[in-house]
Amino acid sequence: MTELRRPPRKRSLRSRLTVALAVGALSAVVVVAALAQSAGKSAFIGKLEGPEVVTDPAKLPRNLKEAPQLAALVKAGKLPPVAERIGQDPLVIKPLREIGTYGGTWRGGFTGPADFWNGYRCCSGPDHLLFWDYTGDKVTPNIARGYEMQDGGRTLVIHLRRGMKWSDGRPFTADDFVFWFEDIYRNKDLIPTPSAAMAINGKQGEIQKVDTYTVKFKFPEPYYLLPDVLAGSTPLGGHAQQGMNGMGGYAPAHYLKQFHPKYVGQAELDKKVKDAKFDSWVRQFLFKNDWALNPELPVLTPWKTATPSNTATWTLERNPYSVFVDTEGNQLPYIDRVVLTLAENLEVINLRAIAGEYDFQQRHLDLGKLPVFIENQQRGNYKLHLDPGDYGGDMIIKFNLSYEADPEIAKWMNTTDFRRALSLGIDRDQINETFWLGTGTPSSVVPADSNKYNPGPQYRKLWATLDVKKANEMLDKVGLSKKDGEGYRLRTDGKGRLRIEIMTLGGQFLQFTQIAEMIREQWKRIGIDLTVQEVERSLALKRTAANEQQLGAWNNDGSEHLFTFPLHVFPWEVAAVSTSGPLYARWFHSAGTQGKEPPVRMRELMEKFKKAYGVPEKERIELGKEVWKIAAEEVYIIGVIGMGPASMGVRVVKTNMGNIPSRQYNSPDGKTPTISRPVTFFYKK
Amino acid sequence: MAGPDEQRIFVASQWQLMWWRFRRHKVAVASGGVVIGFYLAVLGADFLAYADPNASEAQRSLMPPQPVYWFDGWRFSPHVYAVKGARDPQTFKRVYRADPGQKISIRFFAGGFEYRFLGLIPMTRHLIGVDGGLDAGKTIFVLGTDVQGRDLWSRLMYSTRISLTIGLFGVTVSLVLGVVLGGLSGFYGGIADTLIQRVIEILRSIPTIPLWMGLAAALPRDWSILQIYFAITIIISLLGWTELARVVRGRFLAMREEDFVVSARLVGCSQMRTIFVHMVPSFMSHIIAATTLALPAMIISETALSFLGLGLRPPAMSWGVLLQQAQNVQTVAISPWLMIPAVPVIIVVMAFNFLGDGLRDAADPYGR
Repeated sequence: MTELRRPPRKRSLRSRLTVALAVGALSAVVVVAALAQSAGKSAFIGKLEGPEVVTDPAKLPRNLKEAPQLAALVKAGKLPPVAERIGQDPLVIKPLREIGTYGGTWRGGFTGPADFWNGYRCCSGPDHLLFWDYTGDKVTPNIARGYEMQDGGRTLVIHLRRGMKWSDGRPFTADDFVFWFEDIYRNKDLIPTPSAAMAINGKQGEIQKVDTYTVKFKFPEPYYLLPDVLAGSTPLGGHAQQGMNGMGGYAPAHYLKQFHPKYVGQAELDKKVKDAKFDSWVRQFLFKNDWALNPELPVLTPWKTATPSNTATWTLERNPYSVFVDTEGNQLPYIDRVVLTLAENLEVINLRAIAGEYDFQQRHLDLGKLPVFIENQQRGNYKLHLDPGDYGGDMIIKFNLSYEADPEIAKWMNTTDFRRALSLGIDRDQINETFWLGTGTPSSVVPADSNKYNPGPQYRKLWATLDVKKANEMLDKVGLSKKDGEGYRLRTDGKGRLRIEIMTLGGQFLQFTQIAEMIREQWKRIGIDLTVQEVERSLALKRTAANEQQLGAWNNDGSEHLFTFPLHVFPWEVAAVSTSGPLYARWFHSAGTQGKEPPVRMRELMEKFKKAYGVPEKERIELGKEVWKIAAEEVYIIGVIGMGPASMGVRVVKTNMGNIPSRQYNSPDGKTPTISRPVTFFYKK
Repeated sequence: MAGPDEQRIFVASQWQLMWWRFRRHKVAVASGGVVIGFYLAVLGADFLAYADPNASEAQRSLMPPQPVYWFDGWRFSPHVYAVKGARDPQTFKRVYRADPGQKISIRFFAGGFEYRFLGLIPMTRHLIGVDGGLDAGKTIFVLGTDVQGRDLWSRLMYSTRISLTIGLFGVTVSLVLGVVLGGLSGFYGGIADTLIQRVIEILRSIPTIPLWMGLAAALPRDWSILQIYFAITIIISLLGWTELARVVRGRFLAMREEDFVVSARLVGCSQMRTIFVHMVPSFMSHIIAATTLALPAMIISETALSFLGLGLRPPAMSWGVLLQQAQNVQTVAISPWLMIPAVPVIIVVMAFNFLGDGLRDAADPYGR
């Protein structure tokens, strides 16, 4: 065998070695120079920047202008004039660098109807009532012109934009809120269980109309967090994102009434449902309210779906009634059309991006291919940017704390020192170098130091360093001192080796399975036998919901917005791809009537978390810090590597695209790149 | 008159005749050697591997194959140069520089990680290794490393074991099924024959890859690697028996009326004795040839399934798994050596085909 393979090997090796040597010598110079400049900072990570929403009335543009093809339609009498379409209160965005020019098609890739967030993140505007500034920290007006808290946090008054229209030209008013609240949210068929976002301390709030352009969100107790909830990726996070679930906070009443039993006879509706081959009116209603699937749906977003996401190309075209304008009064977006082509395989998306076939692509790009992306920048006519996240875990490992199937394993997972020891047994530098190419930060679960809820720099490495000796001591001490012939720790119930299972998902932004394999090797040194089980998504959801998962690998992206995105901080979701304890989550959401009561420290964390919704920001920040302190001290979740660009942080942008920030706030709450306002992106002539 | 050579032929047994004929097919003989070599590698995988196939190390991630220098001056002293690696902050590639000043000698029968030879005898000796065992500073990677810094050569050895045994298991199951069902079909004829033949036709009419994919996808995803391994073997062999059954049936049909079978029956031999003592040996050679030809198909199917992500999954190692992990842009662009596992697949499949070809010719020593 050796004989057969040797000759070809030698030849190719020599040439490769020569190249390697040449590259090595060259890079040695570069390395020294780069190291002298700044340790670890990469040229691909720029300065955090972005466009801003203009709210100062003195700076609002006087004359409104529009794209040439819309001007032609106005001339032909097919559209009302631009000023009439936008209304008196345009949503003015100051572009990052310059006023753009109209035209062009933005090409990108997506992986099918389940990849909703792909088109949603680029093209929704967003249509949240309120949204974040580009740092992801401050809430600013968006679709709402302004807001004020009244009544000691019990009432939030929202001012809408006068004369604003849906994409079919019908006015957008307070009635759309009332319709959503009365006929969708309160309809038991559409929304069987009321949402926690519309409640404070378990008490439901309501929406009231004040006048055509003013609505009130009223709650029985103070709900100071509500502006953040409206700005975040929550059930009140706008029509485009939440319509398909019957949530969102508002909905196009004039269009949806024809599918609602309250407004059409049941018999007529049944016939409609049957003719359209839906199972029930609820299915039909939710489909009709789906931003990505129903091109007829009136929307507020700057682009609207033209061919739906369940076809080979998901096309979005400019909304002639878009309320977004730039500081000179040009109606946004600048770019005419967005075309996302279907690629069922992530490798294909990456290849197309490398070949320069996409204008702006961030989702699905693989950090492992970074050298290839860099190498092909010139040939593909694009520039590569890295957008590291602010969250502590590009990869985390969750312990299922409410696990019951194996009492022995359950007992250990609920032993704090056991969890800490496992965390100390991970060699994060190895993992960072191998899978993050050194771009991440070994970290506990806490968010970046700059984050307002960060409890302090000492928590970054708390139980998140490699200390095999200490880990072994701790494991010996908790009662796992007996080992078998191969050095693995034995169960205390005499049933052999203590085997723990980790569930991973394949085909994700990160190669969780491979990383878990590496951790398995590392845990050998602390005598822990880890079995890696790669499962497919639906099975993962089934197993977590059935409380069968032991450990689960995932990320905690979004957790830097602790209160609007707490999915990966403590047991929150019942069916998740990776869970911290479905029974505890159930207990939390049912206010203790279902599920299982968590232990003291966890209850303390949950208590603080809950309390924070109803207190002013200053107090809330303190509570947030407390939550993170407990999370880091107790190691309910092991943080592995964080603040890296692994999930959606590798961005490829054509060199002729303008107003592109060199670094963006990367997070689900920012719907990155929406936080950079793609409506202001344009093609330079 | 017959010369001494022909005399020899007249008295030679069937196996001798076959051997003589087989020797004339030079390529087949060579291929036979290759196949034996591969199966020896299967037995001694742990011995041939010099590094723990699961030992990862970030500091040697994606290291290209190291060239082996056989002579130091005029002295035979195989060695490699020590290599230092770092990540280039501009290109984000890991760059490795060989240091010709620091030689690492390769020792034969050196100590290394512990294993059990043939699963029985605990050993630490490996075919090659470096002085003082393997530590992070002194290493050899003749075929380079993968992303996680695991030695590709050692992984290849373990993969060979799985990929080649899956073929053997599969063929054995196929063989049993094929001979039994083919035999029933040919010997009894009638309804049994019709039934079995129609089943074979249906099975053969279905395109294999989609069928495997369907069956493999039906395997419960929560099965352990070992269960998946056996299930896949069985899936592959459940489809692989048809060809053999056809051959066996044909031989039975042809032989049923042959004089020696008829005489055996007339003498009062039981059915079993007729089949197994008189009939089967006379087409044993065909079965061997058919088996040899079926093996590469089995190997290819495992590799294909795993390559498509439907067969074995990591952390199991097989040729298909290794190739599946090389199935990405960065492998082609920056670490092409990860595609090396395709080479043994090609070699072993070709060797089996030549061997089978030679055996088939030899099985019919009087044929032209």
